[in-house]
Amino acid sequence: MNRNNFFIHLALALVLILVAAFAGQLSRWRKQWRSHIAIVPATEKKKPATVEDIALSETRSFGRPEILVKFKSGVSQETIERLTAQRHDRVEDRIENVDGLDAIDDLDNADAATVVSEYQQLPEVEYAEPNFEIELDAAEGPLVPVLPHDPQFTDQWALSNSGQRGGKQGADISAPLAWATTTGSDKVVVAVLDSGVDYTHEDLVENMWVRPASMAPYHDNELGTIDDENGFNAIDTASDPMDENGHGTHCAGIIGAEGENDIGIAGVNWKVKIMPLKFMNAGGFGTTKDAIEAINYVIDRKKAGVNVRIISASWGSTQRSRSLEDAIRKAYENDILFVAAAGNSTVNNDRMPHFPSSYNVPNVVSVAALDRNDQLARFSNWGAKSVAVAAPGVDILSTWLGNAYEEKSGTSMATPVVSGVAALILAEHPRMSVDDLKKKLLASTDPIVALKGKTVTGGRINAAKALE
Amino acid sequence: MAIDKNSAVENARNDLAKRLNVNAADIKEKSVEDDDFPDMALGAAEDGEMSGQMITSGWRIKLEAQGKTYEYRADKNQVRAYSFKGKNYRI
Repeated sequence: MNRNNFFIHLALALVLILVAAFAGQLSRWRKQWRSHIAIVPATEKKKPATVEDIALSETRSFGRPEILVKFKSGVSQETIERLTAQRHDRVEDRIENVDGLDAIDDLDNADAATVVSEYQQLPEVEYAEPNFEIELDAAEGPLVPVLPHDPQFTDQWALSNSGQRGGKQGADISAPLAWATTTGSDKVVVAVLDSGVDYTHEDLVENMWVRPASMAPYHDNELGTIDDENGFNAIDTASDPMDENGHGTHCAGIIGAEGENDIGIAGVNWKVKIMPLKFMNAGGFGTTKDAIEAINYVIDRKKAGVNVRIISASWGSTQRSRSLEDAIRKAYENDILFVAAAGNSTVNNDRMPHFPSSYNVPNVVSVAALDRNDQLARFSNWGAKSVAVAAPGVDILSTWLGNAYEEKSGTSMATPVVSGVAALILAEHPRMSVDDLKKKLLASTDPIVALKGKTVTGGRINAAKALE
Repeated sequence: MAIDKNSAVENARNDLAKRLNVNAADIKEKSVEDDDFPDMALGAAEDGEMSGQMITSGWRIKLEAQGKTYEYRADKNQVRAYSFKGKNYRI
């Protein structure tokens, strides 16, 4: 071969390779085009489509007609190919799991309905139909964060941290994204076991649990009959659970201050029912015995039909009580989650336990506190084995006595954030068991460097993830 | 009724006098400082007592008697003896 021939052959070979490659790519493009279903980029999360969300388009295919034809049993492949060739069509694909079902291309670009009609008239055909395009409803799109109009929402960094007051943008629980799925449900009751709640607070009053008129006042064999219209007061059973301290009212607001009411703040839940339980006095402290009485009240009310699924416990001490542990276990047996503060003594709870958060009972979720920069709060306890999760707990704005609002800090404030997220989950999944609820919570965190080796999950609770 | 700093110190002094069985006038005020405590029992819970886990502002009061220093903690709601002979007391 001389030098010129060599270059001619080389050029021809290159041309052939390019043609083959282009033809292959064309085939791939064509297949992709035909099997087109909208694909959402991973960064644009879509809500899972329900059956109702899936809309079938008109009897159009994708630029060219394509139909599905089911040939009768016994019709050979040769016959099928002959019939399609006679109509200037082509068998594009054989559907392996359905005998005799073929996807057919009409090479003349005729209308799909016309092609279907042609095939339906053939004696060899059982049925024919257009290859419908299946696409997600046009109204369905990526979740759009929902922001409430409550005037002090911009100060609620725990729910939406825009970097206000020197915070770290995004160091929050992704509440606005969660609210695109649900803002809560008034069918979910959260018991706030605390200093009571100011149930007349204008930002809480609509979300307070009230004993239904059809339900008899509470009766306990030892305590007698108690008017629990607004909840339960274990300190003085003759009185209602009005808060005299503010701590319980603050926790209640974090869980469920009414959202989008143009007043004050928004809770993690805009809609929920808060059941006030009072066992701590005006000073913010109470006895183990009264805490147990209040837990028993919750269990009894659950048995009576109240959908109380969460006890939020923003309190504790270093003293272990078997009686309290047993009461919490009884709550577990009645499908009630128990969310508890990890404590504020800057200690490792694995070595120096704090109760009730350190009880080894399956429904207990122990909560540490984070600041607005995703750092473990300077006061917060931790525990790689004993503290489940962390949540914002520094400078948390919430409701206070007398229609007021105050910023407070503590694992007390982190605890109702987690209780609130649990309530959101139950709003979406009302029948979820307490075991699954806890599992879901612990699987719904953002990993935080500062929490590595400090909590079981090493993460900050994320409400949006909890609703995925 | 809310307790102020002066009455908190006075209550603490009287309590210590009783516990030590000495004259209140013989108890010296060593220091009174504003401070934040880890919980609503001011980090000085009594046996069987539970408290809200909220950072609580108050006063750390140090008194001196018979050559020893004793600590009290107080806020607008309460005065507590901290670790008096190993135990906490709400007074």
